[in-house]
Amino acid sequence: MSIAVETDQVYAITHEVFGAMIDPEPGYLRPWEGELPAPVDPLAAWVDVHGELAGRAAVICETAAAHDLARALLRMEPGEEVTPADLVDAFGEVANVVGGNVKALLPSQGTLTLPQVAAAVPPAPAGAPVHELALDWRGHPLAVVVWLF
Amino acid sequence: MRALVIDDSRTMRRIVAHTLEELGFSTVQAGDGQEALDVLESGDQVDLACIDWNMPVMDGLTFVTQVRSRQEWRSITLMMVTTESEHGQIVRALAAGAHEYLIKPFTPDAIRDKLDLLGLLPLEEPV
Repeated sequence: MSIAVETDQVYAITHEVFGAMIDPEPGYLRPWEGELPAPVDPLAAWVDVHGELAGRAAVICETAAAHDLARALLRMEPGEEVTPADLVDAFGEVANVVGGNVKALLPSQGTLTLPQVAAAVPPAPAGAPVHELALDWRGHPLAVVVWLF
Repeated sequence: MRALVIDDSRTMRRIVAHTLEELGFSTVQAGDGQEALDVLESGDQVDLACIDWNMPVMDGLTFVTQVRSRQEWRSITLMMVTTESEHGQIVRALAAGAHEYLIKPFTPDAIRDKLDLLGLLPLEEPV
């Protein structure tokens, strides 16, 4: 199967999501210089696409970075406590919007699952991802990963 | 004016509701289509509903269909606010009776522009 989504498109989607919903102005999200360090205390959010062409889109970062993302999305003050429910909901919504826009690039329509959040993304049926973006959001390493099954 | 914000994500409800309140709307929220129908059944007078597509219990498209089947809710303006951006999905929602379609991610200005198109602006902004 040929790859239906280009890396540049995934980057553009991620950039748009962060620019519109998370950051007050552009420039906070950029490519990570060098190899992305493996997270020590990871948190992952993902959605799956079901249909003729299926896939998964995930956002993975340190849990502390996910807290910062949730604060930014919810327009909370720096250091303000994020409840576990808000963390799951906000971080999951980031994956949902990224995944929904990736789904729109697929040549066939599918359905999107509700977002899930856990310490690790479950193994994908197709094995290796087709795109892995290594990103720097406000100094935090952050990965956006796409699988097509 | 009063707006009903329907999304299973509390985060997204907060963002949409905050934007609408800054534009002068009062808001009520629901976590899925069935909860939203319950709000309308309770007699809450709503002028605008902002509706996510993918939700548990009852999705946004079913909610739109249900609202359009009831004469007493004909005046409610229905705007989908969703990640579902394929052309076919947009056509389905508009055919079911949605008036406008806003794709996530969106900026507050994008919501304002859509409401302007729908003739729901300008409202008197809150002090």
